[in-house]
Amino acid sequence: MSDLLRDRCAIAGIGATDFSRDSGRSDLTLALQATLAALDDAGLTPGDIDGIVRCDMDLVRHNDLVHSLGLRDITYWGEVGPGGVAPCAQVAQAVGAILSGQATTVLVFRALNGRSGRRFGAAAPEASAARVGGGGTYDEFFTPYGMVTPGQIFALMARRHMIEFGTTEEELGRIPLACRARANANPAAQMFARPLSMDEYLAARMISRPLRLFDFSLETDGACALIVTTTERARDLRRPPVLIRAVAQGSGSEPQLGIQFPVLTRDRLTELPAAAVAETLYRRAGLGPEDVDVAQLYDCFSITVLLELEDFGFCKKGEGGPFVASGAIDLGGTIPINTGGGHLSEGYIHGMNHVVEGVRQIRGDSTSQVPGAEVCLVTSTPLPPGSALMLTAA
Amino acid sequence: MAAAARPLPVDDDRDTAGFWEAARRHELAILACQDCGAVLHMPRAYCHHCGSWSVGWREVAGRGALRSWTVVDHQSHPAFPVPYTVVLVQLDEAPEVRLVGHLPGEHELADGQPMEAWFEHVGDGVVLPQWRPAPADQEEHTR
Repeated sequence: MSDLLRDRCAIAGIGATDFSRDSGRSDLTLALQATLAALDDAGLTPGDIDGIVRCDMDLVRHNDLVHSLGLRDITYWGEVGPGGVAPCAQVAQAVGAILSGQATTVLVFRALNGRSGRRFGAAAPEASAARVGGGGTYDEFFTPYGMVTPGQIFALMARRHMIEFGTTEEELGRIPLACRARANANPAAQMFARPLSMDEYLAARMISRPLRLFDFSLETDGACALIVTTTERARDLRRPPVLIRAVAQGSGSEPQLGIQFPVLTRDRLTELPAAAVAETLYRRAGLGPEDVDVAQLYDCFSITVLLELEDFGFCKKGEGGPFVASGAIDLGGTIPINTGGGHLSEGYIHGMNHVVEGVRQIRGDSTSQVPGAEVCLVTSTPLPPGSALMLTAA
Repeated sequence: MAAAARPLPVDDDRDTAGFWEAARRHELAILACQDCGAVLHMPRAYCHHCGSWSVGWREVAGRGALRSWTVVDHQSHPAFPVPYTVVLVQLDEAPEVRLVGHLPGEHELADGQPMEAWFEHVGDGVVLPQWRPAPADQEEHTR
């Protein structure tokens, strides 16, 4: 049963807008542009779409796209969240819809004006109310104490990793540096023309110690879209199909309640739900970390990647620091990561640009192509729960 | 620019109000199952360990150990001038409970160092349990 879905669906098309600090257009326009680009990439037209899966934080709704694209009728729509947990799980929903006969051709998208519109790096609008929390958010235990952004959560996790395992700030810095070097080869990346040295990294201003400016992702305006269909159908389309080898969601046990801050009360601060997601994903794929040629790891913050490298089994728990310092995550290393530049240096499309870059790697047309890449891991594992998928060549 | 008003906690939530009621009495309270004794944090009305709906607030000592901390240098909210420090404290009496506290400025802190609760009146009848490093001599006294 575990391989019921294996290789039966494929990503047939990918699309992206430009990534910028101010798109000058609406979230809907961004979504439409990315969708039309993905349809063109697949050699399909809007009339072929009969399913849509969105992220719960997207401002663009299913019906907005049906109407604006002139779709005849969609027979399936779905939604995943919260936020960055969505992208790989959105693909998983699309696969489920297709294999259960509810749709044949599913659009998966994420559009946001993340820099010129609502900024995730700023305190949430709810935090400006006279009273905060309640209603199952549990924010009342955190926001009155000055906990107002996700970066502060990950700063506390990074500190704990340093306490338990002796991880250094310089080791952590290898992650933004790797992402930046990949972005420097990617003309679509926001940091294409901006090299970053370790000295510059270490000299940058602190945001929430021990995390500094370059440990944070780039709030971005932009959109990405995917077209998911059966592998059989994808073979007849414009581009070679990129097979969805396996998908997985996972909460792990005791993920904690609420929206985000309560994760700080878990027994282990140095582990993400990624550990549970990885176990399910590898089992379903019939593959292990040693089979992965390249990985697109969710990088809202540098420390997130360090934890994922451990939780997905590329190194042992606690050894992430020396592992990244060895060059393992760089091009030519054992597991090159975030080859488009990731959230840290390409742009923050809430994890969807990681799926797009994963497809490029399997097609062999990334701007930082890993030679002969046949297996790509993509993760959407920030705070609990999480999701991930494995892409393979046909 | 005058500092904005600090956001106050919703203190009448059906699952968490007891924490804030206790704070008004200068007590630190955690929710626990009255059948099996399991601590339920974050607070909720059902104990999944034994299947009981019988839960209640239990007073615990305001002492803990520092588990992690961050000095916030980048201001994200007008009510919290930087730098400030957020501490994550593990309760001595109930290690499965971790709470955060706010310290203005930056401080010399170390993993596991003893922390003590105090109660801050923040207006509108609301009291926040807060955390600060415990004085060394007090540690001796309370041993």
